[in-house]
Amino acid sequence: MSKSTEKTSPKSLGLLVEFEDQHQLLKACEAVRDAGLTKTDAHVPFPVHGIDEALGIRKTMLPWLVLAMGLTGGISGLAMQYYMNATEQPGMLLSGYPYMISGKPTFSLPANIPVTFELTILLSAFGAFFGMIALNKLPVFSNPLFRHKNFARATNDRFFLTVDATDPKYKGQKHREMLEKFSPVAIDEIEADPSCDQIPKFMKYVVIVLLAALTVPPMMVWNARNTTSPHPRIHPIQDMDNQLKKKTQTTSPIFADGRAMRPRVPGSVARGEWQPLEFLTGVVPGGEATSNVALLQDEEKPAEDKPAAEDKPAEEKPADEAKPAEEKPADEKPAGDKPAAADAAAEEKPPEPDWVTTFPETLEINAKLMERGQQRYNIYCAVCHGVSGEGNGLVSLRAFELQQPTWVQPTNLHDPNVTKQPVGRVFNTITNGIRKMPSYEAQITPEDRWAIVLYLKALQKSRDATIQDVPQIEADALKGQGN
Amino acid sequence: MATVEEVADITLETPGKRAPLVTGGLKFGSITEIVAGVPEQEKPPLAWYIGFCVSVAALGMLFALIGYLVMTGVGVWGNNVPVYWGWPIVNFVFWVGIGHAGTLISAILCIFRQNWRTSINRFAEAMTIFAVACAGIFPAIHIGRVWVFYWLFPYPSLYLNMWPNFRSPLLWDVFAVSTYATVSILFWYMGMIPDLATLRDRTKSRVHQIGYGIASLGWTGSARQWHRYEKAYILLAALAAPLVLSVHTIVSFDFAVSQLPGWHTTIFPPYFVAGAVFSGFGMVLTLIVPARQWFGLKELVTTRHLENICKILLATGSMVGYAYAMEFFMAWYSGVAAEQFTFQNRAFGPYYWAYWTMITCNVVVPQIFWFKKCRTTPWIMFVASIFVNIGMWFERFVITVTSLSRDFLPSSWGYFTPTWVDIGMFIGSFGLFFTLFLLFLRFLPMVAMAEVKSVMPHGEHDPIAQADHV
Repeated sequence: MSKSTEKTSPKSLGLLVEFEDQHQLLKACEAVRDAGLTKTDAHVPFPVHGIDEALGIRKTMLPWLVLAMGLTGGISGLAMQYYMNATEQPGMLLSGYPYMISGKPTFSLPANIPVTFELTILLSAFGAFFGMIALNKLPVFSNPLFRHKNFARATNDRFFLTVDATDPKYKGQKHREMLEKFSPVAIDEIEADPSCDQIPKFMKYVVIVLLAALTVPPMMVWNARNTTSPHPRIHPIQDMDNQLKKKTQTTSPIFADGRAMRPRVPGSVARGEWQPLEFLTGVVPGGEATSNVALLQDEEKPAEDKPAAEDKPAEEKPADEAKPAEEKPADEKPAGDKPAAADAAAEEKPPEPDWVTTFPETLEINAKLMERGQQRYNIYCAVCHGVSGEGNGLVSLRAFELQQPTWVQPTNLHDPNVTKQPVGRVFNTITNGIRKMPSYEAQITPEDRWAIVLYLKALQKSRDATIQDVPQIEADALKGQGN
Repeated sequence: MATVEEVADITLETPGKRAPLVTGGLKFGSITEIVAGVPEQEKPPLAWYIGFCVSVAALGMLFALIGYLVMTGVGVWGNNVPVYWGWPIVNFVFWVGIGHAGTLISAILCIFRQNWRTSINRFAEAMTIFAVACAGIFPAIHIGRVWVFYWLFPYPSLYLNMWPNFRSPLLWDVFAVSTYATVSILFWYMGMIPDLATLRDRTKSRVHQIGYGIASLGWTGSARQWHRYEKAYILLAALAAPLVLSVHTIVSFDFAVSQLPGWHTTIFPPYFVAGAVFSGFGMVLTLIVPARQWFGLKELVTTRHLENICKILLATGSMVGYAYAMEFFMAWYSGVAAEQFTFQNRAFGPYYWAYWTMITCNVVVPQIFWFKKCRTTPWIMFVASIFVNIGMWFERFVITVTSLSRDFLPSSWGYFTPTWVDIGMFIGSFGLFFTLFLLFLRFLPMVAMAEVKSVMPHGEHDPIAQADHV
């Protein structure tokens, strides 16, 4: 009988002793411990007081693990915030990005404490939970104990002691008799699982195939992100990528003029671009005549029918650039000229606006502005008026050479009519043009126009200058040169 | 073995006399029978079905409204000039506050060895998690473009090439609430592992065996595993205790770090935490009074438990009352005209009705718990706890809306009115909460069986029981 049972019954793994009372269990545990058995365990529905000593369970290392995780969380939390908000490594793939908000420092400890604290707690909690799971070698879903019918009560109201047969000091029958003394409910052999405990061979391939299949979706995403396609993207959330709008340089039926791009409302000034009116117009504001200087100029036009000459400056510019280099030395003092805006003579009819007679206060008059004016003058004005302002610019010379019938000689800027003009009027001429001379408002900024006026005034003055007008130091230098 | 007569309690209540933690002469097995009996029922009671249908309907409404919000934009809410923080933030703070009681009962009372917590902690922790889920919805959808909510997290994105601004209180919130939710879930789940093993071992249904089997991770109640488990549990409790205080502190920073009169005060963190504990215990009471009635838990959740909760309500209710008074004092003492005006305006301005509702519900009503009769009569507690819930919602409303609607400049004053979407979402969030809660009652052990067993008297050899006999 016993032989046949041994044959059919599977291998014994140890003893399973069932108690009704935790106090009996504790005594049994102590006895087993004193017998020198170490591979023992108890299975109880709740932590029984004193069982750690009774079984000889050593203290767990879990608190140290939690401490380590907590320190990691705290330090990495601080380092992360420092890296992300207070550093910048240009060119690095994931560089930090320092924000400047309300002038606050990019890294200040008080503001960074909350996140540091939360990460410390989070990682510590992970340490406690997952550390417990790992140290307990969970999850385990297969356990020979589960095959014992009564063992289900281990999580309810019964107390079990197990002794492992692989313990070197384990002697089956002897220990069985020893445990009988503690009046257990039952003593059973723990039986190994009779079913084959080998994982079937094909499972290996199934796992490999499944793992391989798992890589497919990320590979597809990676591929899609790195290839071009003629098809439009799948675009589930539109954000503002696609919206009803008009692009630049297109037409729109919404406005009467059919333009999608809207011009600036007349009279409006962009924020931060406000300048005094006299600076923008060269006219002292207030008078009736100042209301629209451009209009005033337009009215003048028909009165003057000198033919236009300014068709060609663009063509001639290259030549023009070469010339100033030659002429510059000569340019410093002398000047013979013809005013470009020789308008002064021509119009008595419309009321003269109240021209600005001095340079606007907002303008800083210095050598730098003078140089700027010279440079702008040589670019925009000298082509017709000549570098010295005598109306003999390259365009003009060429026009005479070709005997252009409609060409009119540009004004000599040293003509008394021009030299008398107040600065506001000269500025206005550049801005709005006069007779055949077009408006330069679009090409030259107001400040540059004032710079040109400044330079022109200097040019005019230099024509009649005497040695007394020259500062002493400069005069001495000239004398030296003259010798 | 354990009987009522020799029941002991290590929390001192009346000198010389100790109230039992578990009444009715229960043994270990009968605890299991009572608690595990609920999820083991073939069919839950009719009331469960009715409650579940109502909750799911409200939940459906919540999802529909979220869909409507996402498709249309946050303009469907009443948030507008000057009240940009309306109901969504009110609801968020309200639900986060509700969550606090669960962790508090579990963690802080665990550290203080308050064993009476064992029969209500599971329940309260579940409430915490579901409340935090409700809370999490509101900040997630109020950002406008919900589908890029993950930009809040510092994930390595080559597309954005940017990081979150860690000096913003609203980002602290992201970390605080997500950490709180994660740790609460870990704490709750870990406490449940032994009880899930009990359910696994008792159930006859194969499906349940597999389900509970996977969830219980193969727990066998091994003493060596219990040793680490207990250590991990007390560590988690020690970590959760400061966490629970930090979460509402950080929520209060959202307000306090700004410059608005009525928000920019140092009293906010302690005041918010006290309010959170208050509202959380209010909700615990609201849930547990009917639940112990319907599920036959009267022996486990005794009148003494309820009385303790009422005492906490009385204490924290008085604390928030003190905070309300102190806000007025500080406004007067600071000498800041805008601050003074804000508080006069709260009490007597256009939102006076919300203010006095708050005072009545939060400060006046809990004072009934000075009377022992009120502390021990379930229906009185239940009614009072409803008042507490209402009052705490109004507290958040008063703080958020009154300060914004009238700040420094009279030219920018306005009156806030919620839209039907605001109201529907708030009701819908209750749908989410109760749906989750009813599922919890149906499928999971609502009392921590192993913990209750461990604080029961352990027979004639038990040193505590012995001492008690003397």
